[in-house]
Amino acid sequence: MIKEILKFFNTIKAGDWFIIILFCALIIVSTKFLWNLPQGEYLEIYKNNKILATYSLNQKITKIINGAKGDTKIIIDNGRVRFVSAPCTKKYCIHQGWINKANQIIICIPNKISISILGNKKNYDSINY
Amino acid sequence: MHLNRLLLYFLIGLLIGCSDSKVNQGKDFIFGTLIDIKIYGESKIDAEKVSNEIFTEFHRLHKLLHPWEKSLITDINTAISENKSITIDSNEILTILNNVQRLETQTQNLFNPSIGKLIKLWGFHSNDYNHKKIPNEKIIQELVSSNPSMQSIRIENGILKSNNENVQIDLGGYAKGYALDQAKKILKENNVENALINIGGNILAVGKYGKRDWVVGIQNPRKPNVLATIALKPGWAIGTSGDYQRYIMVNNQRYSHLINPKTGYPENKTQSATILLPPAEDSGALSDVFSKPLFIIDKENKATMAKKLNIKYFLIIMNDDSILISESLNKEINWEDDIDKRNIKIF
Amino acid sequence: MTLSTINISDRDHQIAKLSAIAIALSLVEFFFPSPIPGVKPGIANIIILYTIFKFDLRMGIWVSIIRVFVTSIILGSFLSPTFFLSLSGALLSLLSLIIFRNLNPKYFSLISFSLIASLAHIIGQFVIVRLWIIPHNGIFYLLPIFILSAFIFGLVNALVTNKLLQLNPKK
Repeated sequence: MIKEILKFFNTIKAGDWFIIILFCALIIVSTKFLWNLPQGEYLEIYKNNKILATYSLNQKITKIINGAKGDTKIIIDNGRVRFVSAPCTKKYCIHQGWINKANQIIICIPNKISISILGNKKNYDSINY
Repeated sequence: MHLNRLLLYFLIGLLIGCSDSKVNQGKDFIFGTLIDIKIYGESKIDAEKVSNEIFTEFHRLHKLLHPWEKSLITDINTAISENKSITIDSNEILTILNNVQRLETQTQNLFNPSIGKLIKLWGFHSNDYNHKKIPNEKIIQELVSSNPSMQSIRIENGILKSNNENVQIDLGGYAKGYALDQAKKILKENNVENALINIGGNILAVGKYGKRDWVVGIQNPRKPNVLATIALKPGWAIGTSGDYQRYIMVNNQRYSHLINPKTGYPENKTQSATILLPPAEDSGALSDVFSKPLFIIDKENKATMAKKLNIKYFLIIMNDDSILISESLNKEINWEDDIDKRNIKIF
Repeated sequence: MTLSTINISDRDHQIAKLSAIAIALSLVEFFFPSPIPGVKPGIANIIILYTIFKFDLRMGIWVSIIRVFVTSIILGSFLSPTFFLSLSGALLSLLSLIIFRNLNPKYFSLISFSLIASLAHIIGQFVIVRLWIIPHNGIFYLLPIFILSAFIFGLVNALVTNKLLQLNPKK
């Protein structure tokens, strides 16, 4: 197996290296731009891609949302949020765990519920409320 | 070999991309609200150490001042309701009580930290305040006419006694601001020159964010975004009393936790009152306290009250979305695009 | 009585065989759940790459399109979002291969084509996801993961294809 991989390495040509480096640069740049996210401030809940509700993340509260297949339970916990229960089979939404940064999302396609975090627009350092 | 090195560079790139080196942020949940400390220009370790020291102090204050979980304040309240005197061995509490007595007079009793009974009656002595009904009118009337006031409290040689059994101290409108001033002291002791402390929306700026001032957004009371931003100069504090953080909904009517001590009912014609105060030893506490009278007093007298309390920077949103703003603040504020400028009245 | 005859060439036989393998691999992948939703190795692409390098690009295009349609019909997802996801990924990666078909083989090997095609594949799918399935900018958060997985599986697929080509060298 290792021998095979080494043999494969020898087939890599100059142009291939160029493509590989370009690809790595793309990964770094996309990560830097898309993941360098500020802390979230608000939570948006979508049902069928329509906004159902908006909540502040600065609270401790459990919400139950009625989706296409049944009730989805979401917990907001002082700046972060997660799915707790959902009527879907694969439970991807629950396994995704906590999210807390602006633009992060959790999507449950079977139950047609998704949540996303809004950040502040970065033109201030803190919110007075 | 080549590929390994590439992967290593890639990982390093990832790590660099994910950290903001200038500001270190600490968050905690104390006083039933979110605390957010941003420290500029210190190492991560130093910033963390100072933040933790501040959080420890806040936990101490929480245990000392809590209005319904067992604290020195609830001990005092129990003694008052049993018409007993109580010996207080905390100089800090004596000073605080002295201060709030003075502030009550100064605000013409609109900031009244002795109406704990009313606040409890409305269901706000709880972490999830999900009361679904309005208290009995007669009970409210009785409490209001018994005229609870901090002035009924006498402290002599560390012994506290109240001649009004309906007095129940609730420092809810003072404690967060006081905590800001305590945090300011801790930052100074640790030689931290630049920080921004946010306790449940009350913010105190220490120093600057590098070359520019710290900038804060002012929450729009009815929309999930800010309505304006303002630069908070070094030492300045900003505080808001709003009907949108702690409130109950009964029959589609909003009842906020901001109860008018003179009527016993929540003030319902104002959405929010925001004030900015210049550097002072107690600017944090004052930013917490002085927004209340501005919120509660009727529209015609708001500007007069601001003048009386020497507040030069204020912003008040009424229930019809009209905005009252002081001239000084209007010069410096940056409105968001969705604000209707025709609704703004300058004082 | 008229008899219509269809001439079935060797080439058609090859296309049918390779398509069958590609479809089988797609089905295998379908029944193995992926740990992260939306991230799949795309092992059927090994067959497409193999076809292009052993035969020609035109044949690869045939195999790819047949795979997309037949797999979706077998799984009952024809004309469903899943089908369009698969189709747009396949079309864009074929397009990228057509655009880059003249890269000098002196400098660029199979690896480059595999990487380019797998990147085009996820971009094709991502466009459908963003425009239609989840019209929300939040999914851009997932893009780095998709690009990283395209990189890894692009390399792995190239490695496997390389091995296959060694075992069955071009005639």
